[in-house]
Amino acid sequence: MKILVLNCGSSSIKYQLFNMADRKVVSKGGIEKLGMKGSFLKHTREDGQVVIFEGEIIDHKAGIEYILGVLTSVKHGCLKNLEEIDAVGHRVVHGGEKFKSSVFIDEEVKAELERNIALAPLHNPPNLKGITAIEELIPEVPQVSVFDTAFHQTMEPFAYMYGIPNILYKKYGIRRYGFHGTSHRYVSERVCEILNRDIKTQKIITCHLGNGASIAAVKNGKSMDTSMGFTPIEGLIMGTRSGDLDIGAVTFIMDKEELGLRSLNALFNKHSGMLGLTGISSDMREIEKARESGNEKAALALDMYNYRVKKYIGAYAAAMGGLDILVFTGGIGENADTTRQGSAEGLEYMGVELDVEKNRAVHGTEAEISLDSSRVKVMVVPTNEELMIALDTEQIVLERSITGR
Amino acid sequence: MSKEIIHEPIEDFGLSKRTKSTSLFSRVGIVGCGLIGQNLARVASYYGLDVVFVEVSEEKIDEAFSGIIQMLDHRIEHWGLTESEKRAMLSRIEGTTDIAKLAGCDIVVEAIRPVNRGMKIKERKEIFRQIEEVVDRNCIIATNSATVVITELSSELQYKDRCVSIHFFVSSPEARIIEVVKGLYTSDESYTKVCKFVTQINRAMVPVDESAGLISVRIFVVLLNEACEILMEGVASLEDVDMTMKIGFGMRLGPFEVADKMGLDKIVRWMENIYGEFGDVRYKPSPMIKKLVRARHTGVAVGQGFYAYDEKGQKILSAKRSC
Repeated sequence: MKILVLNCGSSSIKYQLFNMADRKVVSKGGIEKLGMKGSFLKHTREDGQVVIFEGEIIDHKAGIEYILGVLTSVKHGCLKNLEEIDAVGHRVVHGGEKFKSSVFIDEEVKAELERNIALAPLHNPPNLKGITAIEELIPEVPQVSVFDTAFHQTMEPFAYMYGIPNILYKKYGIRRYGFHGTSHRYVSERVCEILNRDIKTQKIITCHLGNGASIAAVKNGKSMDTSMGFTPIEGLIMGTRSGDLDIGAVTFIMDKEELGLRSLNALFNKHSGMLGLTGISSDMREIEKARESGNEKAALALDMYNYRVKKYIGAYAAAMGGLDILVFTGGIGENADTTRQGSAEGLEYMGVELDVEKNRAVHGTEAEISLDSSRVKVMVVPTNEELMIALDTEQIVLERSITGR
Repeated sequence: MSKEIIHEPIEDFGLSKRTKSTSLFSRVGIVGCGLIGQNLARVASYYGLDVVFVEVSEEKIDEAFSGIIQMLDHRIEHWGLTESEKRAMLSRIEGTTDIAKLAGCDIVVEAIRPVNRGMKIKERKEIFRQIEEVVDRNCIIATNSATVVITELSSELQYKDRCVSIHFFVSSPEARIIEVVKGLYTSDESYTKVCKFVTQINRAMVPVDESAGLISVRIFVVLLNEACEILMEGVASLEDVDMTMKIGFGMRLGPFEVADKMGLDKIVRWMENIYGEFGDVRYKPSPMIKKLVRARHTGVAVGQGFYAYDEKGQKILSAKRSC
């Protein structure tokens, strides 16, 4: 079975073509600057050769048409014809409360996605455009939607409700949804495979630290709590997002700086976080360098970052009544050993004993970084959301062909 | 993996073979870079378009750039923009005195500030003609005027079908709306292209039939005239008229504040144009506005209009009233 995984953003489309027999990526690539000047498609062939296709890509449909065209082209493709694609899996950001797992896309699902646009006005519309484009271009191919929020739908109301008037939940669905669900699910399952443990008995904390960052408490295989909330701003300090912040400070700033909604959004989403704190960059590597050359702001920002992660680890251990495995993933979690050390050290009292030497050596590979004596296993597991999407898609399509629905 | 990257034209790889398409706008020309031109340059460059603006002298080019930079800095100070976005935007904007540099533009917007009134139409027609000489056949030529009728402007061009009138809002450049006027000669194809352009710079489009003053200016001039009447009759003070409209009707700025921001000289020209077109006295400039214009109290730009302004363009508040 060959499955195409699509991640449609507002001005980009990323794709990976999986051969499910060996779970390997046959070829992959992405479109950038979609609908803008200078749009292009960057494709990595089966043999590793990179090809850049330049020209005008006006919208999602045109973009996906080119992707399919490239994949089936004699010169750079890897498919004889479009019939070789057995299914398409889409990453969809917001599934709201309705979608608790990945679903086969039918009219009803599309209508519900349409309704969810209110919750994710920036992300859901391009996701939907991708779905419609596939429908128009290769109508026979089944499509599956995999949601960023679905994994966290197992949270209990006491974890997802906010302390605000209940009517706001009823009216607008204001509650914690959490994001990065596919990643938290993948690494929590994968880590149990690696350690040969039964996920149904484990208390796991997964730290997805990338440009956006979130932590999840995964108890017995289910997400119990997560740091991102109604939007991705809540929780950890991120590249350019503030993370947790006193709402009183927000209204105060609004008043003093005479800010409207747009500027307020930009302030907390684009100007804050590590970028706002350091004034240098949102890139951890650059901030690390600045700290090494004695930049105090950089040192403080890094300390704040680690401290925030540590606070959540403590909180989630308390929420789950203990901890068996601590996992780091995402660009920073997989590569930044100093961040891992900074946020996991000093937790010996709860059984977390980091092996400083091992930790220092691990960058972007699956590895254990705790001491043998550590009661809690500390692990690095690179995330693979695309594979997770492909696996979900395969499973749902196969189930349907068996049940004949 | 260290192999060299291969480059290919994407058009050869569509499912259905396509011809090389150029329907996206990539280069915007602006003739006359005053407030409107600067705003358009800022907005278009923000959305990734290259901008080339034509001014009459190097001095005017510098002036336009400093105007744009000031707008961007203001946005950065108010958290609406990042430094790197500003750098990227400025790198996309080019100023020139050579109208031939407009070659290769997908749309050229004429936004000149006319000096003497009578010359207006003639001047603009001449500019349209000059633009047509240097641009491609399918380049859209637009005017920003709300009162000059596009059919008349385009009447002497070789290809009249590509002319439209688009009206940006000066008083609040962040108002994400543009009035687009289809002239008698404008082809559907050109009109559709303009719609695409408006969408590309993230503005809503209001289609308006060719009519002096469109929606915005026509309603506004009547409002302002009536506000002047109230002032002249001594019914209420300047500040109170503005406050009533702002608080009472939820306007962001009162009529006098808007007028000062737009420039009273410009408003008088608008009024005269609309009055000339319809002949209805309610469009005729109120004596009060004319008096201010004669005294060169034309608004924020000169530090004095209905209100007085400091050098930063902030309104100098008059003493508080007793109640």
